[in-house]
Amino acid sequence: MFHVKQRGLFFVVLIVLLLTACGRSVGPERSERGNQVVVVMAPTSEPAAGFDPAFGWGAGEHVHEPLIQSTLTVTNPDLTIGYDLAERMEVSADGLTWTVTIRDGVKFTDGTPLTARDVAFTYNMVRDSSSVNDFTMLDRAEATASDTVVFHMNTPFSIWPYTMAIVGIVPEHAYDAGTYGSEPIGSGRYRLVQWDRGQQVILEANPDYYGEKPLMERVTILFMEEDAAFLAVRTGAADVVYTSAVYAGQAVEGYGLVSYASVDNRGVNLPVRGNPLTCDAAVRRAVNIGIDRQAMLDRVLNGYGTPAYSVCDGMPWYSGVNEVACDPEGAKALLDGAGWRAGADGVRVKDGVRAELTIHYAAGDSVRQGLAAELANQLSGLGIQADIKGVGWDTAYDDALTNPLVWGWGAHTPMELYNIYHTAPGSDSALYSPYRDPDVDRLMDAALRCSDLEESYALWQQAQEKIAEDVPWVWLVNVDHLYWVRDGLRVAEQKLHPHGHGWSIVNNVDRWTWQ
Amino acid sequence: MKSRNSRLVLLILTCALLAAITVAGVLLEEKALETDLSRCNEAPSAAFLFGTDWLGRDMFCRTLCGLSLSIRTGALTAAVSASVAFVLGTAAAILGRGVDAVLSWLTDLVMGIPHILLIVLISLACGRGFWGVILGVSLSHWPSLARLVRGEVLQLRQAPYFRVAEKLGVSRLEAVRRHILPHILPQVWTGLLLQFPHAILHEASVTFLGFGLSPEQPAIGVILSESMRSLTTGRWWLALFPGLALAVVVLLFSALGGVVSVSGLGRGEGSPAPVS
Repeated sequence: MFHVKQRGLFFVVLIVLLLTACGRSVGPERSERGNQVVVVMAPTSEPAAGFDPAFGWGAGEHVHEPLIQSTLTVTNPDLTIGYDLAERMEVSADGLTWTVTIRDGVKFTDGTPLTARDVAFTYNMVRDSSSVNDFTMLDRAEATASDTVVFHMNTPFSIWPYTMAIVGIVPEHAYDAGTYGSEPIGSGRYRLVQWDRGQQVILEANPDYYGEKPLMERVTILFMEEDAAFLAVRTGAADVVYTSAVYAGQAVEGYGLVSYASVDNRGVNLPVRGNPLTCDAAVRRAVNIGIDRQAMLDRVLNGYGTPAYSVCDGMPWYSGVNEVACDPEGAKALLDGAGWRAGADGVRVKDGVRAELTIHYAAGDSVRQGLAAELANQLSGLGIQADIKGVGWDTAYDDALTNPLVWGWGAHTPMELYNIYHTAPGSDSALYSPYRDPDVDRLMDAALRCSDLEESYALWQQAQEKIAEDVPWVWLVNVDHLYWVRDGLRVAEQKLHPHGHGWSIVNNVDRWTWQ
Repeated sequence: MKSRNSRLVLLILTCALLAAITVAGVLLEEKALETDLSRCNEAPSAAFLFGTDWLGRDMFCRTLCGLSLSIRTGALTAAVSASVAFVLGTAAAILGRGVDAVLSWLTDLVMGIPHILLIVLISLACGRGFWGVILGVSLSHWPSLARLVRGEVLQLRQAPYFRVAEKLGVSRLEAVRRHILPHILPQVWTGLLLQFPHAILHEASVTFLGFGLSPEQPAIGVILSESMRSLTTGRWWLALFPGLALAVVVLLFSALGGVVSVSGLGRGEGSPAPVS
C-alpha cells in the first residue's frame, strides 16, 4: 500500500523533528553586528504587491510607516499628528480645502528633488488606483507652488492628517504602477536593496535622508512561519523575532521576550437584527458586562494583553465610557429582567426562543479560536448556549450578518469607528454587522466636518457614548505583540501597535542601537 | 497458510475493535468538543491518557472521536465509490462500444489527476466542510475498481452461459442481476474494504491541509495539523498518539481487506486485489 508507506515516512520526519526540538539550542554567537539588524516577520507581512502605497504598502488594513517613502505627516507616540515632509498645514473654515507646505531640500534616492508636484501626483494617483483605502473624499490635489500642495475635498474630512500619515510619496517622473512595487524609489529613511520574494527584504539607510541619520544602517527582514521563527531564535539566526503567547513560556539564552502594548483588538459583533438572541439589547448588554475579560486574557493569551472595551482603546479619540466591570450577577439579572428564564437544562428561553448562539471565527487563527471557545464557556455560565465554528473569510463576512464573528481591528485613525458603526452608503445598516443609529451617524458626520482635529475627538467620543447604550459589538482583548529580542539590542520606544503583527515594530528601526 | 478458522477469528476481532472505536467516538463527541482553558497543555496522565491540547481539550476523547469520524466517513465514501465503480464498470462492459469509450475515457481522466488535488478541488467546489470531504473522496476513488469490474465483466460476457442467456432473450438488466452480480460482488466487497484506508488517509490529508473539516471538529487531520505548531515547544503527545492511532486503524483495515481477499470469504484463492 503506497499510502501506508507515505505515512511511515511522515512518522520518520515527525521523529526527526521531535529530536531536533528536544536538542539544546545553539548559543547565540556574538559576531560583529555593527549597525545591522535581522528582523523576522510572518509570511503574511510580506507586501504581496510590493512597496507601492497604492496597493497596500503602509496603508490599508495594516498601517505602518512606509520607511522607503516619506509621508506628509506622521503619528506621534501618543497618536496625535506630527510632521514629516509637511512644515505647515491649514484647513479652510468649510473643511473643503487643505493647504500643506512641504519642506525644502528633500531628494528622492535617484537624486531628483521632491516637489509639491510629486505630492499632488501621488495623491491623485492613489485616489484613482488605491486598492486598499477609500479616497472618495478627495476631489483633487494640486501643486500651487514648488513647496505648496492644495487638496480640494469633495466632503469635509477632519481626519485627513491621519490619511496623510500613511500615504508614501512617490516620484512622478519614475512611477510605473507595474514596476514600482518591486523597484520603489522614495525619499524615506531607507532604500530597498534586495527583495527575494517569499524570503527576505533588505533595506539600507538612505545616505541623502533629510532628517536625522538612521543609526541602524542595514535592516534585513525575514519572513517565516511561527514555528520556524522560533527555531531561528533558538539557533540565534535573527535579532528581533515575532512570536505568540504559545511560545511565551519558553526561555531562550541570549534573548528576552518583549511585549508591546497594542490596539490590536479582538471582539465579536452581536447583530442587532437577524439573530433571534442578539437582537435583544438586554442580551447584548448582559454579554458585555457578564464576561470576564481578564480571565480570557490569562487563559488564551497567557496574560499578554489588556482588556478591550472599544475598537480604539488608548487613542486620542477614545472614550472610556464602555469600561465596565465584570459583573456576571448583574448580567444574569439583566437577562432575567428581559424575560430570558433558565430552562430545565440551564439554557435560558424566552417566548419559545432558546438562548443559543454560534460564534464564528477564522479557521486557522488559534488566538481567535481560543477566544471563541473561552467566550462560549463564559456565556454558558450566563445561561446562553454557545457553539463555535471555524469559517473561511470567503463566507465569514456573510455569516457575520446574522452570527457573531471574532474580528480583529485597531488602526491609527478614527475612520475605523466610522467603518464599523456608521451606516454604509446606499444601505440601511453598517457594513460588517447590522446596526444603525441615526444619532451615531450624525455625531460621526459632524466629527468629519469639524475644522479642528481636537474638537473632532470630542465628537468621536460622544458617538462612542451613544454606541455604548446599544452594544452592537462586544470587545474582548487587545493582543500584546510579542517579540524575542536579542540581548544588547535597544529597540526604540514603540507607539501603541495597530492591528497586524508585522511592520509596526520597525516603524522606528532607524533609532535602534546595539549596546 | 492460516486456516480458515483463524482467519475468521482475526476478522471478527478486527471488526469488533473497529466497531468499538466507532461507537466510542460517537458517544464521546460532546466531551471531545469541550474546552477548558484552565487545564491546557497537560502531558499524558491517568486523567488524560493522551494529554490535553492548547484549549484544554481531552486528546484521548478527541482522538477516539476523530478515528470514529474517519471510519464513518471512510465507510460512507468507500460504499459510494464502490457503488459508482460497480455501476460504471458494468455499464462500460455491457452497454456497447460507445458507452465503453466514454466511460473508459472518464475513468482515465479521473485517474490521471492526482487524488489529493482532485479531492481538494471537489471539496472546495462543494463548500468544504463534512459534505465537501465526503464528495471529494467518494468521487475520486472509484476508477481503479471500475476498471477492474469492467475487465471482469468483459470476461464474463464471453462465458457460454452468458451468451446462451443473451440468445434466449434475457434482458440485459436481468442478465446482469442473475449472471454477473454474483460473480462480481466478492470483488466489489474486497475493493470496498481496501478502499477504506485510502479514504481515511485522504480524508485526514485534506483536513490536515485545511480544505476539509472546520478546526474545532475532532478529526484526525485537524488534530495532526494543530499538533505541528506544538512540536517546537516540545508537546510531543499531541502528534504522537493521534498519529499512531491513525496508523493502527489504517493497518487494521488493510489487514481486514487482506483477510477477506485471500480467504473463502472472497471469491477464492488468487482473486486479484484492487489496489492503486
